[in-house]
Amino acid sequence: MSTKSVFVRLSTLLMILSVLLAACAPAAPTATAEPEVITNTIVVTATPGPVEPAEPVEITYYTFSAAPDHVEQLDQMIQLFEAAHPNIKVKVETAPFDEYFTKLQTLIAGGTAPDVFELNYENFVTYADKGVLLDLSPMMKADTTLNPEVYSERANSAFSYNGMQLGLPATFSTVMLYYNKDLFDQAGVEYPTADWTWSDAVEAGKKLNDPANGVWSLYSGVQFWEFYKKAAQNNCRFFNDDKTEVLINSPECVEALQTMVDMVKTDKVVPSAADMGGQSDGDMFMAGKLAMDVTGIWMFSAYKDAPFQWDVTVEPGMANKATHFFANGVSAFAATKHAQEAYEWIKFFTSDPEMANIRIASGWELPALKDPTLFEDYLSQTPPDNRQAVIDSLEFAVVPPVIVRQSEMQDGINKLLEQVMLDQLTPQEALDQAKTLLEELIK
Amino acid sequence: MIAQRRPVQKYLWVGFFLFPSLAGLLVFLITPMLASLALTFYEWDPLIPTHFTFVGMENYLTLIKDADFWSALGHTLYFIIGYIPLVLVTGLAVALLMNQKLIGRTFFRGAFFMPVISAWVAVALMWTWIFNPKFGIVNYLLGLIGITGPAWLYDPNWAMPAIILTSVWKDTGFIMVLFLSSLQSIPQEYYEAASLDGANGWAKFRYITLPLLSPTLFFTLIISLINSFQVFDQVWIMTQGGPAGSTSVLVEQIVNNSFRYGRMGYAATLSWVLFLIVFVVTMIQTRMQKNWVTYD
Amino acid sequence: MTESRLHELNKPLGKVLLYILLIVSGAVMIVPFAWMASTSLKSGEYVLTMPPQWIPDPATLDSYRRLFELYPIGRMLLNSLFVAGLTTLGQLITCSMAAYAFARLKFRGHNMVFFLYLATLMVPFQVTITPLFILMRIFGWINTYQGLILPGVFSAFGTFLLRQAFMTIPTEYEEAAYMDGASPLTIFMQIILPLSKPALATLSVFAFMGSWNSFMWPLFIVREETLMTLPVGLATLQGRWLTEWNLVMAGAVITVLPMLLLYLVAQKYLIQGYVMSGLKG
Repeated sequence: MSTKSVFVRLSTLLMILSVLLAACAPAAPTATAEPEVITNTIVVTATPGPVEPAEPVEITYYTFSAAPDHVEQLDQMIQLFEAAHPNIKVKVETAPFDEYFTKLQTLIAGGTAPDVFELNYENFVTYADKGVLLDLSPMMKADTTLNPEVYSERANSAFSYNGMQLGLPATFSTVMLYYNKDLFDQAGVEYPTADWTWSDAVEAGKKLNDPANGVWSLYSGVQFWEFYKKAAQNNCRFFNDDKTEVLINSPECVEALQTMVDMVKTDKVVPSAADMGGQSDGDMFMAGKLAMDVTGIWMFSAYKDAPFQWDVTVEPGMANKATHFFANGVSAFAATKHAQEAYEWIKFFTSDPEMANIRIASGWELPALKDPTLFEDYLSQTPPDNRQAVIDSLEFAVVPPVIVRQSEMQDGINKLLEQVMLDQLTPQEALDQAKTLLEELIK
Repeated sequence: MIAQRRPVQKYLWVGFFLFPSLAGLLVFLITPMLASLALTFYEWDPLIPTHFTFVGMENYLTLIKDADFWSALGHTLYFIIGYIPLVLVTGLAVALLMNQKLIGRTFFRGAFFMPVISAWVAVALMWTWIFNPKFGIVNYLLGLIGITGPAWLYDPNWAMPAIILTSVWKDTGFIMVLFLSSLQSIPQEYYEAASLDGANGWAKFRYITLPLLSPTLFFTLIISLINSFQVFDQVWIMTQGGPAGSTSVLVEQIVNNSFRYGRMGYAATLSWVLFLIVFVVTMIQTRMQKNWVTYD
Repeated sequence: MTESRLHELNKPLGKVLLYILLIVSGAVMIVPFAWMASTSLKSGEYVLTMPPQWIPDPATLDSYRRLFELYPIGRMLLNSLFVAGLTTLGQLITCSMAAYAFARLKFRGHNMVFFLYLATLMVPFQVTITPLFILMRIFGWINTYQGLILPGVFSAFGTFLLRQAFMTIPTEYEEAAYMDGASPLTIFMQIILPLSKPALATLSVFAFMGSWNSFMWPLFIVREETLMTLPVGLATLQGRWLTEWNLVMAGAVITVLPMLLLYLVAQKYLIQGYVMSGLKG
């Protein structure tokens, strides 16, 4: 075949492809299912403010939590919103969580930032500090239909910074102790209760371990997220209140870390990373190889079809109880051209009761709202039976320590913790080094 | 060859042939490169894109004192020293094999190339398993001959070897394809003539194959070196630089600084120091090629 | 006499050993894909069991069905084909022309320009991607096909590869043509290119592959689903907390198949060496 005829064939192929693409081009972005019910009890949104422009304004909403499982629910919410706000169109952009912030940063650097975007609490402070986020308080004050009390206070304050409300909370979650009832029954051990301490867990764990069948009793990772929580359970914090002092190497923290390490190395009830070899704790729990798992409520839907009975309870404590509090919020870009419209969407997406119902019904995270009636539905779903424990856990919630240089702190501490697990450092040494690192980072 | 033409005409031809490629290169590659070079003298947080702080040579000074940079450099060199000889030898060996008349040759060529065309995401997972300390094939096979295998990706001493082996597996096909196309163009007559003169397999390889392959070998070596200095994907997916930073490599540092710590100026500095190292190594290689590469 | 007898004995034994070696290496190469394909046929969300299960039981095409439901696979496939196809064509044209200039039209400073080409390979793209993005913004090419394709068309690797290939072509053919007054363009199209089919096929495969698997650039530049390519589109399968590996592997299989097809087709050209009939070297 001569070069020329290859070229001709290739070009023909490409032309065919272009025609195909052009033919498909006007296709609608997503194939959405028509929502079954469009309720008429839409939240009233006669907000005072600038005269609404005649042509619809399009705002972009960038999210990580919707794809791939909840795109439908998000579309439903958008339809509800657009019905109530005919002048606003919401365009969705998604990215996988692992790449989400890389892309967001690049979009901002390139001057093409989305109008509204999702942020998790850990990244919020970084973005807030750099002036990337729009202050929503003026619009909230001018908005007579908004009752700021609808939000859970803890979640709401998580997204305020220096007296400005730079985001509104969309969802919150916490971490529980999951346990495999069948394995407990087989080993003749009593189920965990909300009063357990970690020594109780270890004691039960020793009876639940079944190396012959590859069964481990407990999983609780030795990493940043678990560590600050365990430290809090032992009355220790990374920083003082106004983050001017680093307290991470105090004896209580060292003790907390030692307990975590002992559970793997001395008590041998928790598998090490090598023992798990690429499997996640979720994989092991579902395979019936893990009696107790410390993980978030986001796993309820994942564990739903487990081939065994399971339930949850409040996580064990040490000197006292402390549980995780995670929140995702939604913010607007500081330099957005559509501030009012962005605010409207944010308000709807975080506080509208219809939106909340859609969320709870589909198991798409918990809205950060205080209304107990919303949770009736949530609490009545099973498994697990003991969903009340989720609400109970909130009593003891601690927020993550967050600073502007968050990623460096997390990476640094994780690396030190790994070194402890590899016997390269003692807990005391690791935390002493952590103190030096953190002092450097908060300068 | 073209020297007979008038210079103006010659340069017009040069311009004609070179222009599309060079123009595109200048716009899409060199401009961003120069921008990043300029960045090395600034502190720039991409989240505050209009704000540039001039810091002069400060980034470079920080780099010299940065323990993470030096350990990343060390790990990268470790990777290169382990990976390059292995992948070139295996790739060449496989190419030589694939050049023979064998049954199922097309199938084998496809088999060897499969790792190359796949993305790391799928492949890395499988290899994490193959190296699983308890259930993985590697330790199982080692067990059969009485060796207790290490914890591979979870052991700071063995994580990099595991990554090297995985990389060799993935890239052998790539090297094979590069060598195969030039092996194909060595005329059979040369080998036949050599046989008539009584040369054995090794002599044929040494005196015919190798010299005629030398341009490709040169090319492959340079490209592999340039690429391996920038090793990233497999490290990011398989170990994230761990355990305890034992597989942290240069581009991983660059990515962390660019996209997670908001220190683009410093990330650019890391990149340009990397560039300098690679440039020097490549120059040395190019000088040396005169000694062993033959084009006719 | 004895020597040739020994030779005879070694031949079949050597061949057998060779085939064993080949089969083992081939298996080593393929086994991960067998696992990948097998995982894609598994049902249930938790497919990572220890030790790994090789034959899916029950085997189901459910993952593929769900993938097509969740994502516009057809569209993404077309986009990937279009982008990779144009990129390959662009590389073939621009790289071969530049390679010809380097290999044959020796001009003053050609070494320096060539080093400039090489230099573009030495700065990690992770650091140039942000300035490039900003440049695309300035051109107004964000979320466009040209923004997606053009940066990938200009390749120093391709130029280098073809330069080496062109340099190994003996100059006798061209010299004859020059005597007859042929222009560099004629020589390029009628002598050099036809004689470089293996190298051109090699470059096609690599260019296509690079573009096909490209992730980071499409991730940034594509802002809506109609332009999405396969790797980016399928990336959201890896959830924040939970990954359905059977879906991920089904996506990986779909992504790998066209590349495999291309490679098998290109094999024909890769195998074909250039024929030197009638001319002794």
